Amino acid sequence: MVYFGDLKPKKGKIHIDKERCKGCGFCVEYCPRDVLELSEEFNRKGYHPPRIVKEEECCYCQLCEAICPEFSLYVTLKKEEEEGEKSESRP
Amino acid sequence: MKRTGVFICHCGINIAGTVDVKKVAQELAKHPGVVHAEDYVYMCSDPGQNLIIQAIKEKNLDNVVVACCSPTLHETTFRNTSKAGGLNIFRCEIANIREQCSWVHKDKSSATQKATKITKSAVEKVRRNESLEAISVPVTRRALVVGGGIAGIQAALDLGNSGFEVILVEKNPSIGGHMIQLSETFPTLDCSQCILTPKMVEVSKHPKVKLMTYSEVQDVSGYVGNFKVKILKKPTYVDPDKCNLCDECTKVCPIVVPNEFELGLTGRRAIYIPFPQAIPASYTLDIKACPGLMPIACGKCADVCDVKAIDYDMKPQIIEEEVGAIILATGYDLYDKANMAEYGYGKYADVLDGLQFERLCSASGPTKGQILRPSDHKEPKEVVFIQCSGSRDPENHCAYCSKICCMYTAKHAMLYKHHVHDGQAYIFYIDIRSGGKGYEEFVQRAVEEDGVLYLRGKVSKVFEDKGKLKVWGVDTLTGKHIEITADMVVLAQAMRPAQGAQELAKKLKLAMDKDGFLAEAHPKLRPVESVTSGMFLAGAAQAPKDIPEAVSQASGAAAKAVTILSQERLYHSPTVAKVLSNLCTGCGMCVQVCPYEAIAHKDGKVEVNEVLCEGCGTCSATCLRAAIQVKNLTLHQVHEMINACLGG
Repeated sequence: MVYFGDLKPKKGKIHIDKERCKGCGFCVEYCPRDVLELSEEFNRKGYHPPRIVKEEECCYCQLCEAICPEFSLYVTLKKEEEEGEKSESRP
Repeated sequence: MKRTGVFICHCGINIAGTVDVKKVAQELAKHPGVVHAEDYVYMCSDPGQNLIIQAIKEKNLDNVVVACCSPTLHETTFRNTSKAGGLNIFRCEIANIREQCSWVHKDKSSATQKATKITKSAVEKVRRNESLEAISVPVTRRALVVGGGIAGIQAALDLGNSGFEVILVEKNPSIGGHMIQLSETFPTLDCSQCILTPKMVEVSKHPKVKLMTYSEVQDVSGYVGNFKVKILKKPTYVDPDKCNLCDECTKVCPIVVPNEFELGLTGRRAIYIPFPQAIPASYTLDIKACPGLMPIACGKCADVCDVKAIDYDMKPQIIEEEVGAIILATGYDLYDKANMAEYGYGKYADVLDGLQFERLCSASGPTKGQILRPSDHKEPKEVVFIQCSGSRDPENHCAYCSKICCMYTAKHAMLYKHHVHDGQAYIFYIDIRSGGKGYEEFVQRAVEEDGVLYLRGKVSKVFEDKGKLKVWGVDTLTGKHIEITADMVVLAQAMRPAQGAQELAKKLKLAMDKDGFLAEAHPKLRPVESVTSGMFLAGAAQAPKDIPEAVSQASGAAAKAVTILSQERLYHSPTVAKVLSNLCTGCGMCVQVCPYEAIAHKDGKVEVNEVLCEGCGTCSATCLRAAIQVKNLTLHQVHEMINACLGG
């Protein structure tokens, strides 16, 4: 849908640094849109890092970024949806 | 032996044409216990009723059998006649020899024989009837209206103005329904919001009306006059008394989701007010859109709220209310556009549905009343309107006519021409149905004054070609293939029962028709009553209808509810189930099969709640020991009726 007016849904892109992850699962648990799930694969430390399953659902709330104790993921605003707004890290 | 009188009606030639009524009277006169038998051309007429009263008095009758039409039609008439003659009303029985005999047979002699048997079995039944008095129960003199659209608002206002307390329940954050989304209304082109908002304000300020928005009916128990209702009040997380509508919260909310009020033409924040005139005037935090109520997730709206109106700890509440009557005005939704793949809805931004086009025309809409294409925000110069999109298509979609689309499409085309003077509007139609006051003139005005081009035929396909929409159709009047290069396509989607209305109907044990609309008790004579007594229907919940019809049905339903609420006590038929406790073993099979939850265990046996019991007889058919029987339709009576039929 193409929207009228200034309010347009934001779409986020999640970047995961698998090697930092300790598999706590906070990001999976707290994501309001259930974008993430724990994968089967192991990282070098032996943990299961998260995997993106529904990226189109991500609403750029950056909660996963804020809640991750290991700073192992961050979210940027998707380019094609940007229209003036810039990605910014959470305060 | 009890003295029985038999009265056989000719019903003009309806009965007498197939049944030899004189012979039936002669045969019955020979039946044991029958002391009087006569026929008359119209028993239900005043002279016919007088015959019955006279015979009761002269022949000192104990029982009366009237062989006539179905008891659903004249049972009350003849029972009252018997009462006037001094008998208990249960001393009168109807033998249905019209619907169940004369109308369904051709052969006169066998039909006469059958009519005789039916009448004899009624004689055997009435002889064993008990004289019963109606069960009376007090009435809770308040009403519940479900749905806060125009029909619900009108019903609530009428009930409130009649002096009864009303609870108006609406599932959305504001009342107003679909009507508040409309731009103008046909055929007068009144501004829809301008005529609805005064009613919304009136209902919200009415001292007798308790408004419950963002709430849903969860459960209804009880019976006519005494319903117990459980209402779920969903948390809005905003205290409407504290909220001063400063709009600071929406400025900081990071989330944007499609705006339902604008049908996805704009976005809204997770905390929002549906539209400026919303009632109650307060914000709602949409918990489905919000990233979460914990401070780490966001919490920005509560931070900026100066008056501390936002409360993340608000919990859902279940509120219990007692009411005497319920009006269902649950309204409609448009048929899912995802089903209309051939018209490209969802694929092309410039294919809209009727409600979206209303928002584009509306002065308060996303474009401030300018008609613009969603894709490039340019003015469309050629617009194709497709009627019956999903309606009148029994093979693929809905079989029924959605009734209002012909009129609103004419209105859309007219409004489009008023906005875009050099544009051209095309309407594809199957038939133009404009029955209604001023409706036909309105369609003519669209054709003659506004130059709308009506094309009789169906559209086969809509597809995109070089930034425009190609519409392929056929004109069935000339038989020619038509191709229109359009800037915008508007689909007149079929009307469906509102989302959630069917689940609600199941909870309330209300019947639905084949399309899922709520079923009325009688299509002609009881159009606002549901099959469950004490529950009434209003608006598009019952069938597709336009605003004046919805309003008049709402007033009708309110008047019907008043007939219950204005009573001190209600009377209930005493032909209910009765437990023979010496036979009952307390096995509980009847408790399980009772559709009205009227039977309960008590002291190792069962007990019938006579007020809940409708006398359906399911328990009686289930009981292995004949320990539960319906009064005036006991097993003994049924056996004797069968014997009479078999000539025993």
